[in-house]
Amino acid sequence: AAVVQNQNRREILVSHRQKGNPLLKYIRNVRWEFADIVCDYLLGQSSCALYLSIRYHLLHPDYLYFRIRELQKNFKLRVVLCHVDVEDVIKPLHEITKTSMLHDCTLLCGWSLEECGRYLETIKVYENKPADTIRENPGADYLSRLTHALTTVRRVNMTDVVTLGSNFGSLSGIMDASMEDLARCPGIGERKVKRLYETFHEPFRRVS
Amino acid sequence: MLPFEEQIVSDLLDDPINGGLVVLSSGLPLHPLISSILLLHHSSPGSVLILSATDSQKSSILQALKNPNPNPDLVLPVDIPPDLPSHHRPSLYSSGRPFFLTPRVLIADLLTGRVPSNSVSSLLILNAHRLSDVSVESFIARVLKALSPSVPILAFSDRPHSMVSGFAKAERTMKCLFVRRLHLWPRFHLAVSADLERAPPEVVDVRVPPTAAMRGIQAAVLEAMDACLKELRRTNKVDVEDLTVENGLFKSFDEIVRRQLDPIWHTIGRKTKQLVSDLRTLRKLLDYLVRYDAVTYLKYLDTLRVSEGVRSVWIFANSSHKIFELAKKRVYQVVRTDGARISTVGKRTKKRKVNDLKKEKESGNGSASSNVLDPSIGVVLEEVLEEAPKWKVLRELLEEIEEERQKEDLSREGHIEIDDGGNSDIVLVACKDERSCLQLEDCIMKSPRKVMREEWEKYLLGKAELHNVQKRNKSRSQDPKGKKNRSQDPKGFGILDGVAAGPSESTDPTSTSKLENDALLAAASEISHPYKEEIDADISQQHAREGGSLKERGKGKSTKTTSRVQARGKKSKKLAEGDKFEKTSSETDGLGGETDARVAGTLQEDILPNASDDKGVYPRHAQDSGTAEIADDKPIPPVQFYALERDQHILDMWKPSVIIVYHPDMTFVREIEVYKAENPSKKLKVYFLFYEDSTEVQKFEASIRRENGAFESLIRQKSLMMIPVDQNGRCVGSTASSEPRSLVSQNSLTRKAGGRKATEKEMQVIVDMREFRSSLPNVLHQKGMQIIPVTLEVGDYVLSPSMCVERKSIADLFQSFASGRLYHQVETMIRYYKIPVLLIEFSQDKSFSFQSASDIGDDVSSTSIISKLSLLVLHFPRLRLVWSRSVHATAEIFASLKANQDEPDESKAIRVGVPSEDGVVENDVRAENYNTSAIEFLRCLPGVTDANYRALMDGCKSLAELALLPVERLAELMGGQKAARTLKEFLDAKYPTML
Repeated sequence: AAVVQNQNRREILVSHRQKGNPLLKYIRNVRWEFADIVCDYLLGQSSCALYLSIRYHLLHPDYLYFRIRELQKNFKLRVVLCHVDVEDVIKPLHEITKTSMLHDCTLLCGWSLEECGRYLETIKVYENKPADTIRENPGADYLSRLTHALTTVRRVNMTDVVTLGSNFGSLSGIMDASMEDLARCPGIGERKVKRLYETFHEPFRRVS
Repeated sequence: MLPFEEQIVSDLLDDPINGGLVVLSSGLPLHPLISSILLLHHSSPGSVLILSATDSQKSSILQALKNPNPNPDLVLPVDIPPDLPSHHRPSLYSSGRPFFLTPRVLIADLLTGRVPSNSVSSLLILNAHRLSDVSVESFIARVLKALSPSVPILAFSDRPHSMVSGFAKAERTMKCLFVRRLHLWPRFHLAVSADLERAPPEVVDVRVPPTAAMRGIQAAVLEAMDACLKELRRTNKVDVEDLTVENGLFKSFDEIVRRQLDPIWHTIGRKTKQLVSDLRTLRKLLDYLVRYDAVTYLKYLDTLRVSEGVRSVWIFANSSHKIFELAKKRVYQVVRTDGARISTVGKRTKKRKVNDLKKEKESGNGSASSNVLDPSIGVVLEEVLEEAPKWKVLRELLEEIEEERQKEDLSREGHIEIDDGGNSDIVLVACKDERSCLQLEDCIMKSPRKVMREEWEKYLLGKAELHNVQKRNKSRSQDPKGKKNRSQDPKGFGILDGVAAGPSESTDPTSTSKLENDALLAAASEISHPYKEEIDADISQQHAREGGSLKERGKGKSTKTTSRVQARGKKSKKLAEGDKFEKTSSETDGLGGETDARVAGTLQEDILPNASDDKGVYPRHAQDSGTAEIADDKPIPPVQFYALERDQHILDMWKPSVIIVYHPDMTFVREIEVYKAENPSKKLKVYFLFYEDSTEVQKFEASIRRENGAFESLIRQKSLMMIPVDQNGRCVGSTASSEPRSLVSQNSLTRKAGGRKATEKEMQVIVDMREFRSSLPNVLHQKGMQIIPVTLEVGDYVLSPSMCVERKSIADLFQSFASGRLYHQVETMIRYYKIPVLLIEFSQDKSFSFQSASDIGDDVSSTSIISKLSLLVLHFPRLRLVWSRSVHATAEIFASLKANQDEPDESKAIRVGVPSEDGVVENDVRAENYNTSAIEFLRCLPGVTDANYRALMDGCKSLAELALLPVERLAELMGGQKAARTLKEFLDAKYPTML
């Protein structure tokens, strides 16, 4: 089966194999259509998903392995979407986890078809979304942003931020400071000076 | 030390090798037991380790060791702080001293061999009810027993009812601690009761009748609770047997319900969940009814209405309407002025009317005309400010105690000086929380009335503030309507300002709630502008009004005085006398209010008419200087307030001769009993203040019943207990051999033809120190893996040179998503390990899911856990997710993940992510090519995004260069003016000096 070119598609492509899967009912926030694809759901240029219900896995323990093998190495993100639909999960989930790990797949679990559907929708919708909502969010004010930035340099603490700030007047002042100037600040030891100076003056890319 | 305490210790040390678990009635003292064990021990070699003692337990143990017979040889236990550098600890362990330490420190030291064998002579574990078979303490017991099998392990608990929660908890706890003997010491144990009842304290049980309103509220809350319980039963999800209103009075009720519902939490509907939380709310309402004053209670109800109004079930029940109504009536009443008042006070009306007529004349025709226009004038706020009945009783008790003392002093004039020690005349008042302590102190020092007044003013001001906020919001959001409201409001305010305190002309109220609100606001604005008012209003008239309101309050008080105080025994007569006295005094108040001569007094002292109240303050202040000097008709003895929440053993310190138990509490009662038994010669009188027929009584009695029930069940369990023992009669505990074999090894067994022995190397797992708070290391160890505790910079567990695991419990997962820590952790893990794993570990007894299907909204929302996980997975496609049902499942998964991997390297794992001296991070693939710390720094700057930081890196060589780039160039690189300006402004912003 040929992989359908998926340049900037707005919809999820669904394999014909998934026909009759009640999950499809719950993909409502994104459009989807059937297509000839290897994976079950094609969620973006380089991300795809396989759907597996634990109940099915118990009947066909080898199914997942063969499906993953078919995928080959065409995708960056390969999701195994596992629908937890049995009570006694520990053993089957263990097997699924192991298979996914061995074959470089990311395992996601949903406990209802709604939840599984929502994962598919979300991965599609967030295809190009930056990670801002799950990254450390420094306070909006100047001081906390400055502290946040400067403390990324190892061993620099809050007090050092205040010292640096009041000595050099502004961030660009700090960034432009010479090693001697930095060393003159109280509390900034030799190592910290070195680290700060390297951060600011070493080129971003070491090999050019 | 009391005989029964000695008995406990000797029983315990009878069979040291098999250890023992001691369960005491709550309130029986633990610290003398520990200290005498330490005393008995101090001559033998090796150190005694005391685990999991709370701070208050530590201090009382130390106290007990120092106090009775200061032994010069005795070495006091030392606290090993968790942050003590680890290389200092081995020498401590071998020093042979007793130590307090945390389980986390001890387990790490045991695993790394920092505890020399034979250096530990015994292990004491306090608060054993907190243990389970996967907790760190059981891990410690297992490792310690393997190290030196003869070390006795002694465990203690004073929470019998938590020792019976769950299936055979006592037995399982004992097994996991390798303990064979169970020692039960209930209060009803013959030895205990004989000791405690030899010279019991004199007890006076004071039953205070609650006010009608309080009674009504209590009945209504109970009714609502019953309704909720019935509803909960109907869901068929819970075992109904434990669901009684009596159980509902206790916090542990939540546990009962949650234990039943947690495993299926995701399948139950929203309504059931709501019912569970409603029951909790209702229990709080009952509790606060006897603890808070009327105004605070109302305030709490108000916030409840706002915060729960929409969701909760109980708020719509009929009975809850009653709760709100009655709570309000305890504070104020809204009265129509045309005589249709609900008020019961008739006499005062006339006088008030007169006042008002006068006032009306003075306030001019402006208000007279608007009377007709504005309906809200027809309604007036009448303060009720019901005081807690116990307040008065407390005061009377104190006065009576003092009176009696003076009499006694007189009768033995000749003997002078009683050598009881300086503090002995202290009266101790014990209440539940700090808040009640402060309030009661105020009541005694100032006057109950004043306290109520202050609360009331705070309440009104709060209302006004809220109103202002609402008004502002309204005028901001709405157009013409909002403006109209604004222009109208001040007018209404101005008029109401003058009238609120006294009734005025009648008009038809349109909507009562609105009118009520207006009246409240009016009263509030009166309070907030006291000075303005003083200038505005005619002074004499204001005095008259104040007199009027004072009189009203006087009335209120005298009606309350009729509520009888019932005391048992010889007390009752005296109390009644005091009661009468108080009554007359309050009547004089009323009289004073009517006469104008009193006016000067009110001016000075706001509202503090009772002179004796005023002076009563002094004795309290002058606690140490003695009180006899002040010749007042109603002096009170020095009072000390104590909040039971503080959980300190103050009885031995303060040595009170009279204790007033303001909020009855079983544990405290036991402490009093023990204190009396320890000081048999001392006279001790205890007063219990109960609200008659209240849930307070019910709860107190139920708590005793419940504890007895727990002990009975423990006694039964003890008789059926099966503790495995080896051939030497030593307890073998729950060893790894009794665990079911793991999946993996089962598989490998079948493959290893005929069980041919393979020389299997022990699996190793490197575990971060901080992870010892969880039970996973313990379970991994149970599974036979070798645990290597180290401090890891990256990840929580290292399974192999290429595999690293970050473990998140569900609560952790949500929390670290919110803080952004997870993103950072995954980012570093990805940088240093080939196979980075995020382990999402559910709890065995909670539901295995994030949310029920009904909680998943219709849209993709960025706050949902699904969205956050999806985003994480999208950004880190190399991250592997492991979903585990429980710790035990995790251990299985770890074992199988390690199956084909090399063992991890400890020294390498420690160094991962830690820059060496010259700042170069080892194994960091990127670090060779990039200045990673500069890139990280760059990405923290405002305006810099995932999309543009690469371009910036291309556009300039280093950060220093970036700082000098003009904004135009930045805009070019960043692809936008706005982002460039944000960045430039941030770089050049003047640092705000703090000096």
